[in-house]
Amino acid sequence: MSSKPRETANVGAGLWKGQGMWAWLLFRASGLLLVVYLFAHIVVTSMSHFGVTVDAAGNTTSWYDKLMEFFDSPVAVVLDLCLVGVVLYHALNGVRIILMDFGVGIKQHKIIFWICMAVTAACVAIFAYVAFYYLANEIGPWSSLAEVVS
Amino acid sequence: MWAWLFQRITAVLLFLCLALHLLLTHILNIGNLGYENVADRLAHASLTAVDIILLAAAIYHALNGLRMVLMDYWFGRRNLALGLNVFLWVFGLAAMGYGTWALWPWIS
Repeated sequence: MSSKPRETANVGAGLWKGQGMWAWLLFRASGLLLVVYLFAHIVVTSMSHFGVTVDAAGNTTSWYDKLMEFFDSPVAVVLDLCLVGVVLYHALNGVRIILMDFGVGIKQHKIIFWICMAVTAACVAIFAYVAFYYLANEIGPWSSLAEVVS
Repeated sequence: MWAWLFQRITAVLLFLCLALHLLLTHILNIGNLGYENVADRLAHASLTAVDIILLAAAIYHALNGLRMVLMDYWFGRRNLALGLNVFLWVFGLAAMGYGTWALWPWIS
């Protein structure tokens, strides 16, 4: 079997190194982090079942409420914000990859990467607004809309 | 080929379901997430369905992604890859079963 010349490793935008490589590496790192978070989240949320008590007034509480109090502390809110950033980075770069699978945007991959980062930054800004508004005021900025949905 | 395809399909599903989940749970209801609040939301069959789809798509996408990374480094040989696939399928189905059990009061 003859070895193929190096140029066939290109997809038309040049051999990926530099920015393309970092995008791939961050994509992989964020994915692994999210795998760990996913299974931790499943376990913790499913444990809301345990220790459920119903008091005299018919209110249901569980130790999950105490856990949620921890998640309302500033440390947890900021960590959650970082998590949202990681999720958004992974999702938007994933969209970029799916587009490239269809042949769209291969030559422009660097620009599209920066567009994805810009959208990530914009969405993180929205979540940061919600988070810091909540930390300052004990209630979210759009919590009144929650009534509309339920 | 199917793994490649389903990774993309679950990615799109995750994008949609996760956007809804983050909006409803973490933007509209921030600070309110006690047992009752969550249970009230799950009382809507549509939101429980979204949660189930989210669970299945997330488990598949995550374990397939993990498989991709592991096969790049350690599980490239054919018989090792087979063992890895079996393990990941068993783990994934177990996780799905566990999650469905946790959501069972709202499914039934």
